Amino acid sequence: MADLRPILLVEDNLKDIELTLAALAKCQLANDIVVARDGAEALEYLYCRGRYQDRIPGDPAVVLLDLKLPKVDGLEVLAKIKSEGATRSVPVVMLTSSREESDLVRSYELGVNAFVVKPVDFNRFFEAIQDLGMFWGVLNETPPRSWTNRDPT
Amino acid sequence: MVSAVSTSDLNLDLCAQEPIRIPGSIQPHGMLVVVDPDSRQIVQVSANASALLGNDRREAVLGLSLRQAIGEIAERQITAWLRTADSSYLRTLEINGRRLQVLGHQTPQGVVLEFEQPPASEVETLEAYYPRIGRFMEDVSAYADLADLCNAAAREFRRISGFNRVMIYSFDAQWNGEVLAEDGDGVLPSYLGHRFPASDIPAQARELYRLNRLRIIPDANYQPVPLEPAFHPRDGKPLDMSFAALRSVSPVHLQYMRNMGTIASMSISILMDGKLWGLVSCHNATPRRVNAQARTACDLLGKVLSQHIGARQRNAYAAKRIDLKRIESELLTKIASSDSFQSGLAANANIWLGLTGAAGAAVLHDDAIFTVGATPSAARLRMLTEKLQAQGTESFATDSLGLEWPDFADLSEVASGVLAISISQLHPSYIFWFRPEVERTVLWAGDPRKPTETVHDRLHPRLSFASWKEQVKNRALPWSQAEIDGALDFRNAIINFVLRRAEERAELTSQLQRSNKELESFSYSVSHDLRAPFRHIVGYTQLLREREKSLSAQSQHYLDSINEAAASAGQLVDDLLSFSQLGRTTLAVLPVDMHKLMQEIIRSVEPDIRGRQIEWKVQPLPPTTGDAGLLRQALYNLVDNSLKYTRDRTPAVVEIGGEQTRTECIYTVRDNGVGFDMAYVHKLFGVFQRLHRMEEFAGTGIGLALTRRIIERHGGWIEARGVVEQGAEFRFGLPRRGDNLDG
Repeated sequence: MADLRPILLVEDNLKDIELTLAALAKCQLANDIVVARDGAEALEYLYCRGRYQDRIPGDPAVVLLDLKLPKVDGLEVLAKIKSEGATRSVPVVMLTSSREESDLVRSYELGVNAFVVKPVDFNRFFEAIQDLGMFWGVLNETPPRSWTNRDPT
Repeated sequence: MVSAVSTSDLNLDLCAQEPIRIPGSIQPHGMLVVVDPDSRQIVQVSANASALLGNDRREAVLGLSLRQAIGEIAERQITAWLRTADSSYLRTLEINGRRLQVLGHQTPQGVVLEFEQPPASEVETLEAYYPRIGRFMEDVSAYADLADLCNAAAREFRRISGFNRVMIYSFDAQWNGEVLAEDGDGVLPSYLGHRFPASDIPAQARELYRLNRLRIIPDANYQPVPLEPAFHPRDGKPLDMSFAALRSVSPVHLQYMRNMGTIASMSISILMDGKLWGLVSCHNATPRRVNAQARTACDLLGKVLSQHIGARQRNAYAAKRIDLKRIESELLTKIASSDSFQSGLAANANIWLGLTGAAGAAVLHDDAIFTVGATPSAARLRMLTEKLQAQGTESFATDSLGLEWPDFADLSEVASGVLAISISQLHPSYIFWFRPEVERTVLWAGDPRKPTETVHDRLHPRLSFASWKEQVKNRALPWSQAEIDGALDFRNAIINFVLRRAEERAELTSQLQRSNKELESFSYSVSHDLRAPFRHIVGYTQLLREREKSLSAQSQHYLDSINEAAASAGQLVDDLLSFSQLGRTTLAVLPVDMHKLMQEIIRSVEPDIRGRQIEWKVQPLPPTTGDAGLLRQALYNLVDNSLKYTRDRTPAVVEIGGEQTRTECIYTVRDNGVGFDMAYVHKLFGVFQRLHRMEEFAGTGIGLALTRRIIERHGGWIEARGVVEQGAEFRFGLPRRGDNLDG
């Protein structure tokens, strides 16, 4: 059982946030949900900078990352996470409206851990979010902190 | 060693090789000496040169200084000439008590001096000829056509030279001469309108005639006088006598003259732009000498004639070119407003034909053939194109295709004349013009097929110059230079046109690519931003439903409707996206087991048809190559369609079959459903086209459009057949060769 790291939801659309939170609430996860409203805020959280400089350090259990974001978009955030030694092992799930082929290809090239297209059907959307929450928030084991903080270079 | 070839050794085959510039001898009506330009010593002489010295001296001329040989006064004249830049010299000088005409010219081997005793009876000064030549030059522009001009010139040449007959003839492309004009006193027969075969004047003689415009032979029965020594002492070579007036001529030519009954002759070249255009040929039945002044006058007259013929031809050419240029611009204007230059040509047949005065024309481009007027068949045109392509020339013109290329002799009737221009270096693309065979009679001066005859085991030039009629077949009216040049101009214009069209097409392509790019980013935005609101509607209705447990049945119904509407709008967006993506995704082409694919599709629809009675009739399907994912979608849509439209049938029958031909694999999906009216079959595959009311059968109206797009991207075809209330059948074919795929 993994220790209870928070889930970082990066989403700019308030309705999507509300629906996603409603879905996650349904599976009664004990994990905190941190919501970042754009790519820049997500990076501040991940690297404890700006408005998050005083937070207790530690990686999220998973980053649920929307593709289209203001300021710094989802692919840029993904690239940053996967290129930095400190955050490389943080699981990132693209959670997006688009099944655009080029986005898929680019995401996997950058090292995304999963790519989920939000289904229109609400029941399936709920199932998908709950599955994601259960899997990444509870079932998935993250590497030990000592390894995580190592810079592979 | 060089010696005069005796008449008995005649061999006409050797004519063309005969060294006519270095005969090593002169005609006996004069004397020749070669003077070293530095030492002024005489280094080579004709064997009769001692006559120069007069009757009282018997010493050899060879080795004397020029002054010793011709005296101080004459020598000073010559020396004065040598100091000038003049390349030739003509003067009558008093030499050792006699008046002699002296012709001089300089050669790399020395100064060649020729001495002739003027014919006693006709000593006339050059000035005497001037009024006559002056009159001729004044009148010359008044002559309407070439024949009139040449007839007037022939009269003038005869008056000045006093020969029995003067002919003016021009050469055709094969170097046959045709007599255009003639003036005679009746002593010799007339050859007006006759032709002389090219073999009468061998190539090396023609070249000499081009360089040295005037030749004279006073007596065809002369005995040549050899040069001594035979070889020039300085370079050891025989004397080059290209420009010597006394040059001894070929014994074959002398025999030719005797056979023709002409004992004396003089000929003057007519040059056009440096090329031999024709000859003024003067003949006498008996020996005849012409003094140097008369010869000079004839030479001058020849130049005047050349210039006038040249001017006339240039004017005629220019006028014709202007005329054709007007036609060309008219044609190009029409072509510019046509879809393609081929259709522009075909739609303006008369102008196209008028460009070269042809009776038929054809254009072969991109494997398509357009013809107007009388032309060879398409199959023969293709063969002609292949032949031209093999030759690799940009243009081709002939007036006798069948004679030039016997393989095409069958085309003579419509295409003896062919003018072709190539309009692409990469592909066999030609524009043709054709002229029909024109049969006509040509008069030859003697049978041209027999330039030589064997008499007493010896070869002779032909003995008979009697009129010989030839029926000319397989020949069209020849293309004029203006027409050929006009066609070449047109070729450049068409090539530019084709290139410009290609550039326009490239420009259009890049515009299309730009707008495709825009469409792509548009559909990207749609996929992101249009799907989300539908998802939100569905989500919130669901949340609302869960929160309010005590909703009335009516409210419940409203919520359901909102949910359905949003869900189907979301589905619509998804379908539209996959349809638009299909155009730009790359096909992953691999072998596909269609049978296995079908089994898998049937398994995947099982949950949707639970409770329905479906009779599947699935035959083995042949494998194909293609994008498995897309082919699955295409097949799935057809099966899904069948299941949908057999909803009310019990049992529903879905038949799936496949067959393989030599070139393609064909697959069939048939059902016993509601079918459709064949009157609307053309609407079946359109995007958003529905043949049934929405509430009867759900769906976005994109499925079949998507299926067709997938099949077509695989290079295949699809068709549908239906009978209302009896069922529908869809058939699609995929090519068996992978290279037809566009992905």
